Amino acid sequence: MKAFEYAAPTHTGGVLELLSDDAEQVALLAGGTDLVPLMGKMIITPRRVVNIMNVAGLRGIEADSLTVTIGAVTTLDELFEAPELADFPAIRQAIHGINSDTLRSQGTLGGELLQRPQCWYFRGGNGLLADSGRRVVQGDNRYHAIFANAGPAKFVSPSRIAPALIAVGAQVRIVGPSEQEETVLPVEALFRAPRDGRQREHAIEPNQLLTHILLPRAPRMANATYEVRLTAGPDFPLASAAAALQIENGIVRAANIVLGHVAPTPWVSYAASQMLLGQSVNLDTATAAGEAAVRDATPLSENAYKVQLASVAVRRAILRAAGQDTGGIDL
Amino acid sequence: MMPLEVKGEFKRRDDNGLSSSQVGGVQMAEVEVDRDTGVVRMKKFVMVQDMGLVINPKTAKSQMYGAAIMGIAYALFEQRLLDPVTGVFLNAEIADYKLPRLGDIGEIVVEIYEPDSEYNRGVVGLGEPPVISPGATISNAVCNALGVRVPVLPMTPKRVLEALVKARKA
Repeated sequence: MKAFEYAAPTHTGGVLELLSDDAEQVALLAGGTDLVPLMGKMIITPRRVVNIMNVAGLRGIEADSLTVTIGAVTTLDELFEAPELADFPAIRQAIHGINSDTLRSQGTLGGELLQRPQCWYFRGGNGLLADSGRRVVQGDNRYHAIFANAGPAKFVSPSRIAPALIAVGAQVRIVGPSEQEETVLPVEALFRAPRDGRQREHAIEPNQLLTHILLPRAPRMANATYEVRLTAGPDFPLASAAAALQIENGIVRAANIVLGHVAPTPWVSYAASQMLLGQSVNLDTATAAGEAAVRDATPLSENAYKVQLASVAVRRAILRAAGQDTGGIDL
Repeated sequence: MMPLEVKGEFKRRDDNGLSSSQVGGVQMAEVEVDRDTGVVRMKKFVMVQDMGLVINPKTAKSQMYGAAIMGIAYALFEQRLLDPVTGVFLNAEIADYKLPRLGDIGEIVVEIYEPDSEYNRGVVGLGEPPVISPGATISNAVCNALGVRVPVLPMTPKRVLEALVKARKA
């Protein structure tokens, strides 16, 4: 590990003062489950590490009549146990799937959203885009993107909770560069596929801080997450989907379908949502939505199997959201 | 305290060749396969093993449990992946190197096979023999479940789905 300066401010203003315009210079430390191993391998070598776990107002869950506000460094276990999450089984199921006491008790919601991609070329020290994507195209891409992979970014968005947050219409609050400057974005707009080495995989500027995640108080949408996992351990899913459905008298009136681990960002499928509108939820309509979700997939040399997995994940997330049997093996 | 001194001798019985090299065993696997995702889940693994004369049944059984778990691991999960261009070891990290967890191994039953005929052969050995067959055992169970052979270990979802697609096209 490279030597670094360390600070643990207790106020948002103190954090913002320590940030830099250059993302390479400063790293924010929350649970550290991703950052510390990356620093240990010198994949990330910040000059300064700013611990934000002690910042006032950044941890905990508050709810009023309209919004559930979650501090960015609220741990995943705290979130899982929170009664305010009762209407959001999609989020709870995503946390449940992490299957690791360490990651759940130490990891935070903000960190889960902003963790770095698992791409083994990135983690092997080849840079996030690994020779403008060539290493992935010519190499072993069995876990890489099947959507939006024409540009240099071929990795998959690692967050397991982001698809659920997008499906239920969550937003994020970002503060900076000064304490008075506040931006609220839909979670969907938080993520982007970097086009060059200077861009990050999210829209937060290096001198800004993600402070809160905001959920609509009463989603009125039945929601669920389904992950296709290889083992009962903490491995990342091969593909996943979150579904949120507004069902009135047995008919779908609104639907948000979001796939995970299939593209450099969480992948919103309007085609899948469209298939469900005006329909009742059953095996046939859920299957049709799953097929629509992957119709435009562009798999790489080794990951065509993920197209099928993504389709099945969408089908099963829809069935689960509607309270129906998903079928198959659920680890 | 009296010192204990024991002298012993082991003579390999060259007449039948069994005592040093040959052991027998039977293994059975019950699996569930998700045809939509290619995920294979172990339900039950039964292992009956001959090792000649058994000196310590407890550690012998422990060795057999280990063999079953190791076998399930290489049949379904473990894979050393090298980059096809540079030869770099891609999944050296535990996050990428897939191993079964408690929830992945199902029920394991081990039985020592030790009738007089085997007992009388003397000490034979156990270290490696029971870990040889699980790949074939589990592969047969998957084939029996699907009606399609998944020809390469480990039988990952990718390979299971590819085998199903190939069979559908044939």
